Amino acid sequence: MRIKVDNLSFGYDYRTVLKNISFTLESGEFLVLVGNNGSGKSTLVKCLLGINRVPSNRIYIDDIEIHQYRQWINIGYVPQKFDDFNYEFPITVNEILTVSRLSKIDEEARLSLLDKIGILELQNENINSLSGGQLQRVFIARALMNNPKLLILDEPTVGVDSDSISEFYRLINNLNAEGVSIILITHDVKASKANFTKKLRMENGRLTETLDNEVTS
Amino acid sequence: MMIEDVFEPLFLSMGFIRAILERTFMQRALMTGVLIGFLAPLIGSFVVIKRLSMIADTLSHFTLAGLSIGLFFINILALPIGDPLYIGMIFAVTGALLIEALRNYYQNYKEISMPIVISLGTALSALFISLSGGFTSTVYNYLFGSILTVSQQFIYIITATTIIVIVLIAVFYKKIVIVSFDESYARLLGINVNVFQFFTTIILGLVIALAIETVGVLLVSSLMIIPVAAAMKVGRSFKNTLLIAILFSEASVLLGLWLSYVVGIPSGATIVLFNISILLLVVIIKKLFSIQQTLKKDSSENEKTKPI
Ligand SMILES: Nc1ncnc2c1ncn2[C@@H]1O[C@H](COP(=O)(O)OP(=O)(O)O)[C@@H](O)[C@H]1O
Ligand SMILES: [Mg+2]
Repeated sequence: MRIKVDNLSFGYDYRTVLKNISFTLESGEFLVLVGNNGSGKSTLVKCLLGINRVPSNRIYIDDIEIHQYRQWINIGYVPQKFDDFNYEFPITVNEILTVSRLSKIDEEARLSLLDKIGILELQNENINSLSGGQLQRVFIARALMNNPKLLILDEPTVGVDSDSISEFYRLINNLNAEGVSIILITHDVKASKANFTKKLRMENGRLTETLDNEVTS
Repeated sequence: MMIEDVFEPLFLSMGFIRAILERTFMQRALMTGVLIGFLAPLIGSFVVIKRLSMIADTLSHFTLAGLSIGLFFINILALPIGDPLYIGMIFAVTGALLIEALRNYYQNYKEISMPIVISLGTALSALFISLSGGFTSTVYNYLFGSILTVSQQFIYIITATTIIVIVLIAVFYKKIVIVSFDESYARLLGINVNVFQFFTTIILGLVIALAIETVGVLLVSSLMIIPVAAAMKVGRSFKNTLLIAILFSEASVLLGLWLSYVVGIPSGATIVLFNISILLLVVIIKKLFSIQQTLKKDSSENEKTKPI
């Protein structure tokens, strides 16, 4: 999936949070977005997802102006916080994943996805009994249910133990190798384990560093 | 204790069964009870997930305003509108939409919508009850339910509603669940959450208006919320929880109807008290269970640390 951002500025109420952001992401790329807390990383991806309403002709997804874009199902998103999710009511991992897949899913494809993410044995567990790392993986699985062409992950490794973090990087590197574009927000030192193709640094709402990485693998 | 004392409830219970077999009003009561016992917790589950438990109470008070205005139209203005229930249903739906509008207006204080609508409903009710002849037995029935006097027409309405609700849930199951659990994710999947909200709100209003017939304005919310509150503490999955909530609810309806017939007490209150008893039982059993488990854990840990 191709993303083009052209001189985007965005603010909540009166405060400008993003200032003159421009970059492009080609199909199959792996972008790492770093920067201090409050620099505007989450705000930027929410603009890409259509959660934040942006001005016209600033964002293009697969060359379609974002307000005209309809194929949202092609973008998977793992939010920074899962506050919006209602946890206390019983629902199993499997039930969440099944309803998140809007079209029919082939049973084999479902099981292999669960296996790949390492939650096969959790599928009948109630969501409110999972640990932080397990929950994280469930939400990654949810984002993958509709076979997205782009996966956006907002600080997915916070509060996850270091074994699971290594496992996580192996997983997204594999996904990327299979052709899924990735946008990963992190200030995790282990981000070096990511086979990224491009790194952007945000400071105070501006992009201050753009690094194109020649992957050597 | 005399031997008759033991047998009397038994005779009365047989009378209850005979009444169900022979009396149309009992058959209608049973039918209404079973259908509402099914619908209320089913809809109530989605209300609980969305943390909108107060909405049931709010809407039932607002529906009462519609019922009182209906009474006023019939008793005082002699308008041929048939049953005040129709105006009640219109009010239930209007109230639901009003709450939605207010929730959007007060984005960060969404719960403010409830007291506003409840006050309007209660004030209008007080006004029109007094204008249409004061506190009559009809008004008493609105407040506390009148399952024994439902009409054949009502049976048709509630049967149709039940079928519509089942079909809608079956067709839109995935989307309803996503929207309830995680609205922002539903938007990301391209689901039109607002249209969804609109229709679920209308259904909610309708079910509440119909449930008033069973247990009355003051007890409607308990019918929707309490079986769910009990079920969510024991359910092993989402579907399992819905099923348990419906079973708890139906058990309360049947036991409540039976006991109220046998002892001669109000059915609405009896049904709700059974619901609450089930909730209490669930809480107590869960507590005992968890105490037992900690004891087991403690003793096994003690064994491990015991010196040889
Ligand atoms: N919904 C919102 N309303 C108002 N201000 C917000 C909102 N979300 C984020 N902000 C503000 O925008 C700035 C950037 O936040 P964010 O994008 O979350 O940064 P980051 O993800 O890089 O930590 C912060 O100052 C934050 O307080
Ligand atoms: Mg952030």
